[in-house]
Amino acid sequence: MPAKAINIILNLAVFVLAWVISFPMNEWFSATMPRHQLLQLPAMLLLGIIAGLRSLKHITISFPWDIAILIFIMASLVFWMLPRSIDAAVIYPAFNRVMHLNMLAAGFLGITVIRQTIFEIKIAFMAMVSVMVFVAGITLITFNILLCSSFNIDQQKETGFRLIIAGIVFATGTLFTFFRSLGKKI
Amino acid sequence: MLQLSPSEIKKNRTFIKVWTITFLVVFPLLIVLGLLMRMNQGEQINLGMDKFYVLMTLHGLGMAGLLFSTSFAALWYLLGTRHVKLNLGIGYFVYFMILIGVIGLTYSTLLGKFGAGWYLLYPLPFKNAIWPAWSTGLSIVSLIILGVAWLIGILHVLYTLAKEYGGLTNLLGWQYLGKKQVKRELPPVVMISAISLIPGVIAYLAGAVFLVMFLMQYFEPTLTFNMLLMKNLIFFFGHTLVNITLYCCLGWVYALLPEYTGRKWETNKILVYAWNATFFFIIFAYFHHLYMDFAQPLGLQYAGQLASYFSAVPATAVSMFGVITQVYHSKMKWSIVPLSFLIGVAGWAIGGFAAVIDATISVNTIFHNTMWVPGHFHTYMLGGVVLFIFGFFFYLSHTKEEQEKDIMGKAGFWLFVLAAHSFIATFYTGGVNSIPRRYADYKGIPIESTHLIGAFLARIAAICIIFVIIGFLIMTVSILIKLTRKKTAVMEHVQNS
Repeated sequence: MPAKAINIILNLAVFVLAWVISFPMNEWFSATMPRHQLLQLPAMLLLGIIAGLRSLKHITISFPWDIAILIFIMASLVFWMLPRSIDAAVIYPAFNRVMHLNMLAAGFLGITVIRQTIFEIKIAFMAMVSVMVFVAGITLITFNILLCSSFNIDQQKETGFRLIIAGIVFATGTLFTFFRSLGKKI
Repeated sequence: MLQLSPSEIKKNRTFIKVWTITFLVVFPLLIVLGLLMRMNQGEQINLGMDKFYVLMTLHGLGMAGLLFSTSFAALWYLLGTRHVKLNLGIGYFVYFMILIGVIGLTYSTLLGKFGAGWYLLYPLPFKNAIWPAWSTGLSIVSLIILGVAWLIGILHVLYTLAKEYGGLTNLLGWQYLGKKQVKRELPPVVMISAISLIPGVIAYLAGAVFLVMFLMQYFEPTLTFNMLLMKNLIFFFGHTLVNITLYCCLGWVYALLPEYTGRKWETNKILVYAWNATFFFIIFAYFHHLYMDFAQPLGLQYAGQLASYFSAVPATAVSMFGVITQVYHSKMKWSIVPLSFLIGVAGWAIGGFAAVIDATISVNTIFHNTMWVPGHFHTYMLGGVVLFIFGFFFYLSHTKEEQEKDIMGKAGFWLFVLAAHSFIATFYTGGVNSIPRRYADYKGIPIESTHLIGAFLARIAAICIIFVIIGFLIMTVSILIKLTRKKTAVMEHVQNS
């Protein structure tokens, strides 16, 4: 099958899945905090990554833009972890769709930058994201006051616990990438 | 050997000159903070508690950061002019990030009165602190900037070395452990760089975790994180930073001393075993900072003692034995560079021995909160790292002939060494006399003899510091005269090496 056709099918699949998550399944994903933060958000990010994997394969982004995009992704993740943003996203589906678009864009651009940026920036970025996820988890577990009024305290703690695990997994991945890159006989 | 064009040599020279001048300007300013602290303890001036702890914080954070940054920059220069081509753009990026971090820290301490010490004493900065909240926030952000800068610099060096030497295992010298003939010699400085800097990456990850937690706490003051977790993270970060500073310096001792003794110092099986063992122990030795924390699991306390003992053996013993075999009957001329290295190694050994004593649980229960602790780290920092740095600066600025004939530099050097060790002796004497550390002054101590001895030793220390500064300034003048002339010694060294 020609590459162009694969691209079209892949992007179509991404579009359909994003639509399913964003529209018919939106209510289900917004029902609990773990679903909203640990399924919906990463799913959109992943879809963005899948779309970016092939679409922007041959595009070269200059170094200053690399940094700008990484800052955009970091800021996006921080923004969608804020209790106020989460509450608004659950209450207003339209606002939730802004999150979906934001995550799709973050994944789409992120994978392109990560693939072509210099090793130092890649590892530093991955390390900082894993640290952020880990600390967000610890914070949710530590905090005994309900942060998002749309959910309950048990869901908050459960999300925190799973974010800690996600942070550890991500940090392990970062270290793995780091050691693997050092281990390459170039 | 790396081939560099004259313009590349010039660029590298400018880079290291920038770092040299930065060190020579900032270091005496930070010493003056120490002088003021000791004068306050000696009751010669009255700073007040708030100002004392502000100075202590800036002195501690500033010195640890400056010494690591300079050691790393010197290592960068040696690697970048001898073994691999490093990207100076990244070098300057790291430099300016560090500069931004330092400006932030200076502002938050001197103007914002942030005085929580380098260890930040969680959760005290957030509980009825006497300084404004913004200064805590600015300190945290500044430290994050510093951490990211160092991390990027370290990653660049590691990655470039790995590319040049065919991967991580080769960098760690594992090819020497097999029976096969080694295809390409691994310079010890390269192996030591890798072994020092990889734990640095892990430590910065830990540092990032606690700093982001601090940031969260700053935005949401009602949060309460696990204090023991915080302390473990902070001390893992701090302990590793100081350790790798020393090892960065040792890297250039291994590289430069043979130029004076005329003897090769090559990588072999023993060196590989010793340094690889150190790689492991660096990570676990920090537990000895937490002996006073009764909530810490007992097994970790024992692990801390064992790791501290073992970490002292391989790299220290092998390196010192190496230094002795280098200089013994070598008929080298005792110019200022080998002198700095030899006395620096002695400072490292004495400070390291004092550290091992303090890392013994039964001894630590008595010494932990006494002046013994600043005694040991000042020995290997002031009497070790700073001398290594000066050795490197003299190497950089002077030709070999000038190093031998520079009377002014040598006079400054001996004054510095004598004054520094006398100053350090006041800490150890304080330690054995149970003078408490981190006290702004001793007026409130109900035991009169402790008060009097503490104040007396602080006054002696203040006099010693003045001589340390004079020695430092004499050496600085000698270095700057040679460094700022048009044709410096650097070109000669690069060509010779």
